[in-house]
Parts: sequence; C-alpha cells; structure tokens
Amino acid sequence: MKNFRRDLNIFLRTVRGRSYPRLIGMQREKSWIFFDTFLPLLATTAYVFIYRALNAPPEFTGFVVLGGAMTAYWLNVLWSMATQLYWEKETGNLSLYLIAPTSRMAILLGMALGGMAATTLRAVTVLLLGSLLFDVTFSVENWGALLLVFVLTLVALYGLGMIFASLFLLWGREAWHLAQLFQEPVFLISGFYFPVRNLGFWVSIGASIIPITFGLDAMRQLLYPQAQWGFLDVNIEIAVLALLSVLFLVLAHRMLLWMETLARREGRLTVRGQ
Amino acid sequence: MSQRFAIQTEGLGRVYQLKRKRGETAPKTLVALEGVDSEVKQGELFGLLGPNGAGKTTLIKILTTLLLPTSGRALVDGIDIVQDPQEVRRRINMVSGGETCGYGLLTVEENLWMFTQFYGLTDRVARERINEMLEVVGLSDRRKTKSHFLSTGMKQKMNFARGFLNDPQILFLDEPTLGLDVQTSRVLRDFVKRWVRERPGKTLLLTTHYMAEADELCDRVAIIDKGKILACDTPANLKRRLQRASIFKLQTTPLEMSNRFSDLPGVSKFIEHQRNGHTELNFILENENVLVKILDAVQAGGGHLLSLEKREPTLEDVFIDLVGRGFGDEETPLEVEK
Amino acid sequence: MSTESIKMNNWHESARSFRVATWLGWQIESNWTEPFLFMIYAIARPVASALILVFMYMVIAQGGMGHPLFAYIYLGNAFYIYVASVMIGISWTVTDDREHYGILKYIYAAPIQVYFYLLGRGVAKTLTATVAVVITLAFGMLVLRIPYDFLAMNHALFWATFFLGLGALALMGILLAGVALITARHSGFIGEAVAGALYLFCGAVFPLDVLPQPLQYIGLSLPLTYWLEGLRRAVLRESISPLLAPISNEIILVILLGATLVLGLASLGFYRWCEHRAKEKGLIDMQTMY
Ligand SMILES: Nc1ncnc2c1ncn2[C@@H]1O[C@H](COP(=O)(O)OP(=O)(O)O)[C@@H](O)[C@H]1O
Ligand SMILES: [Mg+2]
Repeated sequence: MKNFRRDLNIFLRTVRGRSYPRLIGMQREKSWIFFDTFLPLLATTAYVFIYRALNAPPEFTGFVVLGGAMTAYWLNVLWSMATQLYWEKETGNLSLYLIAPTSRMAILLGMALGGMAATTLRAVTVLLLGSLLFDVTFSVENWGALLLVFVLTLVALYGLGMIFASLFLLWGREAWHLAQLFQEPVFLISGFYFPVRNLGFWVSIGASIIPITFGLDAMRQLLYPQAQWGFLDVNIEIAVLALLSVLFLVLAHRMLLWMETLARREGRLTVRGQ
Repeated sequence: MSQRFAIQTEGLGRVYQLKRKRGETAPKTLVALEGVDSEVKQGELFGLLGPNGAGKTTLIKILTTLLLPTSGRALVDGIDIVQDPQEVRRRINMVSGGETCGYGLLTVEENLWMFTQFYGLTDRVARERINEMLEVVGLSDRRKTKSHFLSTGMKQKMNFARGFLNDPQILFLDEPTLGLDVQTSRVLRDFVKRWVRERPGKTLLLTTHYMAEADELCDRVAIIDKGKILACDTPANLKRRLQRASIFKLQTTPLEMSNRFSDLPGVSKFIEHQRNGHTELNFILENENVLVKILDAVQAGGGHLLSLEKREPTLEDVFIDLVGRGFGDEETPLEVEK
Repeated sequence: MSTESIKMNNWHESARSFRVATWLGWQIESNWTEPFLFMIYAIARPVASALILVFMYMVIAQGGMGHPLFAYIYLGNAFYIYVASVMIGISWTVTDDREHYGILKYIYAAPIQVYFYLLGRGVAKTLTATVAVVITLAFGMLVLRIPYDFLAMNHALFWATFFLGLGALALMGILLAGVALITARHSGFIGEAVAGALYLFCGAVFPLDVLPQPLQYIGLSLPLTYWLEGLRRAVLRESISPLLAPISNEIILVILLGATLVLGLASLGFYRWCEHRAKEKGLIDMQTMY
C-alpha cells in the first residue's frame, strides 16, 4: 500500500514534470502562432476552395474545416510524439529518464498531455476561424456523444503515438523518413478532406486502425445529423474507438518495456548518432 | 554502520555486438569489460582510472541500469541490477561530464525542477535542493536563464547539480570535470569530497582519466585498461609499489635511436614523447645507478641533455608500470594547476 | 591582395560551397539503408496527396477524369511538389544542421559561403522531388487516364518557365532559411507550412477566379502563380482561368524573370540580416526542442 502510494506520487509528478516543457514551450516561443496555426489555416482554406471550384454542397466546407483542425493532432502525434524518444536520445535526456525510478509510461503520458493541450489550442483556433470565415454552421444534437468521440479519438491517437515512439527509437534516423512517409497517406486514407466511405468499405475498415478515421467520421455525423455521408453507425464507431484506446495503451506499455530491455541488452539505444 | 558494500561486482563482463559491415559474414564483437571483480564500501569515494576506451563508461552504464552485463553479476546497495533495476534506480543518480540535460527553452531552475519530479520530490523539497545545488555550482544568478543561453560549461554545471537533487545513496560521476576550466573543476571536486565526507553512508563512484583528480579525491582507485581492472588500492599504496624505483624525466635534443634504452639493464619501464622540438624521456629505474648508463647512451646517440628531473611517483607511473605505456599525449589541465 | 583577386576568391569560395553542399545534401538524401523504402517514400507522399484531390473531385463531380478542370487541377498539384520540397530542402537544412547534427556552428566557422551552401543543399531535394513529380504525372496519365501530351507541348515556354520558377523557389527557400535561423524548431516544418499556405493563393489546385477578390490580388502578386500558369499553358495549350488568360506568354516569362531577380536580391539581404541577428543573439547553435 505504501509502495503503491509512493509509485502513484512519482507517476503523477512525472506526468506533470514532463508535460511542463510542452506547455511552457508554446508560451515562450510565440512563433508557433504563425507557423502552426495561421499557415495550416491557409492550407485548410485551399481545400475549401477546391470544393467551391467544384460547386460542392455547403456541408463539405464543414468537413474540410473539421479535418483541418484535426490535422493539428496528427502532426503533433507524428512530429512530437513518434519522433520524440529519438530526439531525447540524441540530446542525451533519454538515459537520464531511464535511470530515474519512474514509469516510462508516465514520461510519454506527460509528453502527450502537454502536446495535446498545446495542440488543442491550435485546433480550436483553426476550427473557430475556419467556421467564421466560411460561415460554417453545425447542428449538433448530441453534445455528449460528440465529446466522447473527441476524447476517445485523442486517447487512442496518442496511444498510437506512444507505440510509434518506441518503434521509431529502434529505427533511428530512418524514423524521420517514416514520419514523413506517414504524413500524407494518412491524410488520404483517414478522410481528412472527404468522407472516408468514398474509399470503399475495405479501405475504410483498414484505415480505421488510425483512430482519426472513425473519429472524424463520427464527429461529422454528429455535427451534420441530416447529411448522409457517414461510413458506419456512430455507436459502432465509438465502440471501435474505445477498443483502440485500450488496445493502444496496453500495447504502448508493452512496447516500452520491450524497447527498454532491448536497449539494455544491445547497448546501442543510449548511443547517439544512429 | 554495517560493513555492507555499496557496489559489488563478480566477474562482470560486457561484450558489444558490432554492426556487420557489408560483405562481412561473421558478426564482430568487442570486449569492453572482462571479469571485473570489485567491492566499493559504503561511504567510500571510489575512483576508476583509465585511458579513453578502457571501459569506464561501460561499467557505469551497467551499474546505473542502462546496460545489461553479458556475464557476471553486480549488486548496487545490495540489490541485483538485473533482477530489480527499479529498486536500484531509487538509490542512485548519474552525471556524465561534457553533457547537458533538459530542454533549451526551459530555465535552469525549471529544467532541474522537471528532473526532481521524476523522483517524486515535493515542490518544497525540490525548491530547497535546487537552491542549494545552484549555490554550489555557482549558477544562482542564472536560475532564470533559459538553458540554451548558457555557456557549455554552465550547462555542464547544471547537469552536475541535477545529479544531487534526489539525494542519492550512491552517485556515479563519469568524468565529471571533462572539458571544464581549472577553477570550475576545483569547485566541483571540493564539493564532491565534502559530499562524501559530511554525509555518512553516501558512496560515490567516479571515473576519470585525469591522474591527479583520482589521486586527490579518491579513497581507493581501481586502474582499468582494456576492460580489466589491473590494480585496486589507495592512491598511496599504489604509489608505494614504486617506492624503491627511481623515476626520472629527461628532456633532450631530438634523438633518433631511442629504442636501445629499453634494452639497458636496470630500466624497468621507458616511455618517449616528441614534444615541440625536443624529446621527452620518462624512465622507471630499478635504482639510480642506471642513470649514468642512460646519459652515456644519450650522448652516444648524438643528443644533448636539456633537463633532468627526479620525480615522486604519480598514478601515471603506476599505470605505466602496470601497462607498459602512458595515457597518451592529450590532457592534462590538472598539471597546469599544480 | 587586389580587389580583383578578392573577387575571384569569393567566387571560388561560393562555387566550392555550392559543390560541397550539393554532395552533402545528396549523401543525406540518399542515406537509405533500404532503397526499397526510398522508393515507397518517393512515391507514397506525392501519390497520396494527388489521390486526395482525385477523391475530392470524384465525391462531388461524379464525372470522369477527362474533364479539363481535372487535368488542370492535377497538373498544378503535381508541379507543386517542387514548392514544398525545394523550400523545405533549403530551410530545413538550417534547423537540421543546427539541432540534429549540431554542425551549423562549424559551417559558420568554415570558409564557406553559407548562402551558397544552402542553395547546394537544395539541389538534392530538387532531384528527389523530380522523381516524385514524374511518378505523379505518370500515375495521372496511366492510371487516371488524364490526356496529357508532353511531346506536343510548347517546349520553349515549358522549360523557360520551369527553370525560372525553380530558381525563384530556391531563393524563397533562402528567405525561409533566414526565418528558421532566428526562430525555434516547431513541430512542423516552416517550409512545409509556408508551402501549404501558398497552395491557397497561387491557384495550384483551382483557378484563381474562385478566390474572393482580395485574395486574388495576393495570388497575382506571387511568382508561383505565373510559374504554374506558364507550365499549364505549355502542357495543356490553353488557359482555363479567365483572370490570367489575357496575360501573354511573354509577359509571364518577363514576370518570372523579374521576380527571380528581385528575390535574389531580397534573399541575399534578408539572409544577411537574419544571420546578423542570429549571431547577435547567439542563436547559431541553440537547441530549442521541448
Ligand atoms: N554501444 C557500443 N557499441 C559498441 N562498442 C561500444 C559501445 N560503447 C562503447 N563501446 C566500446 O567499448 C569500449 C569501452 O568504451 P567506454 O566504456 O566508453 O570507455 P571509457 O569510458 O573508458 O572511455 C570502447 O572500445 C568503445 O569503443
Ligand atoms: Mg567514457
């Protein structure tokens, strides 16, 4: 019991400690407002105008704006979660984390929560500005479900990011290319800019391994209850997202332990420049 | 106080698997550590002295749970580093010289605070220890500076401070003064000494390739080369081995056929360096009488004697005596200071 | 030393910087343990972003891929790959050399003209981007059956436009490298973010006419707009944008030439200024990751 309380204390403090740089970093370096919010908003806008050029129905503008907001999370997971342990290794922090009597999961969680909070600010900015600029109106009937979908999507997504973090650490410099490799194709298969069901049933099912796929699809259905663009029933999508959340977190935990054992055995993971 | 060992190793070894190059079929291995038996007592300041590549860092990585041994066993504070690494981690900390820690965008204070959280320290305790350590390393006036604006030396000092924050039972310092200026090194060394002396039960293992550092600081020193511990004793005892020998340093005009010195009877070890325009010869002799023969040989070789000095034995001489070669020509800032 | 020989010296130094950087850039770009992975990488990204457009088009315009508007969108998108690649190639060099390899400070210490060093590092990126562009276009012609005829295109217009535009892009990359030098590393790439934003204004994937009037003016002031228009006219042999149609081919080339010259001067000046600021504030070797 005493041990449990001690471990919990360390766990929570570690989460707090590691999320701090993420939160404060945003505040210290204001240039992100321009690069990470304003510019992506412009890119999202480009997709809005493609639909305008094609005379698409108005809800498509809403689809794009929502997709644009969610890109912030995907980019954050790729560039600040997946590649992070690798960066930590290169700067020498990783070994300092590993010699501390704390949970490695807590360190990743701290990173994730900090990143999530920071990214939410960006996502909300894109969503609000996008909605204002293009007169997007949503007709939400079920706020509870919407919130649930959103939270589950983030949990599963950052869980996936944690799995990537261990994998990318193993792959070293190659991880860089992998992150780049994942970026666009996921924009495609997760349906960031168009309803995912247009990819066909099996591709959509396959794409659902990326939590954003069903997250976006469910949110679109909840934001436009009348439109008929959904892939599966919202409840099914929520169930899948819940499943992915648990699965990814458990897997991430396993991967971390495995990665650490491998690191200690091979002795190359605390060595830089690989 | 029980005579429990803070660190204990038995036949500890580590073999690295090297990356296979294209075309090579058999995987290459490198023996970094071999059959290391050592016992460090609680409250001891123990030094590992050896040249670059001797295996010092490898040993520290194993003891700090970053690396698994490929053979043998190690206990830290009585706990097996393979069986229960997490329990080991509660009692230790480590600082590698030449490195920094944390994130450039955080201030010195914030970086250190972040690390205290990984040990579960309350904010009040964390604050106190950070203040204390910043005072020690002389960064108090920089506490609010973002760490990427610190000089390299200051970053190292910040990292040094980090090592003490969790008040570890056993602290590992891997070449802590690497690349630091003389004054800073002095300050850190004094603190290290005080830390072990004034706090009963604290143990410190320090690696270095600076002889004088090991000599000055350590209660006991293990001399390590090519992954093996060659000798382990107090600095005084180690040097006493050479008590009956005579140690001379000669400087001469450039000499060609210096090889012949090792063949002279009575010369136990001999090392030669070419230094800007003259030759430096270091001898360990069985007795002083051999010196005459050496001087003859210098003259016969067409050289002129520039200086002659009889020295007290240093740990370097002990190393030369054990290994038959010196530590190399790099370093040593400490000698400047003397 | 006479002024003349100093000039010669500078010239040699610039040429050498460029050569070294080109070689280094290629080493980094081609540093793939698996050539197979490299192929996927070269194909996956551009084809994925092209497919996003294809699906957006299909969802709405249930029609075939033979529609002139689609040929127009697809071509613009394919050549736009250069924009992100070249600008990233150059500006990311600063961040990567500084924070990952930690060599930026040595480059500054070496007798190398950083300006030309950066341009050289962009060359390798341009080469890989070319592979991606060719693959994207081939995919469009073979799989999507878009009727491009590259043999019958206006070759003079195409190549003149093509190279002038690449030059302008490289110079814009230098401008961004300057920005990168004085700002922190953020999750995304500066070059990528800017490229994404320019995507909106220069009519890469829709005719400029769709934009609200004020944004059209921004588009008209960007050299990239004329670059894409020139390439499209050369390949498709017509202009689909009523806004740009009145501008003759010659004027387009003149505008591109002028823009390249102006960018050349601006990038030299701006990069100097950023360098100065970076040195003043000690940012040449900062580590800003968090
Ligand atoms: N991760 C590794 N993989 C392969 N060889 C290594 C690794 N780490 C160290 N070595 C090699 O092991 C030997 C001992 O290194 P190290 O323990 O760092 O020595 P020291 O700290 O005494 O300078 C050296 O030859 C070094 O090259
Ligand atoms: Mg070492």
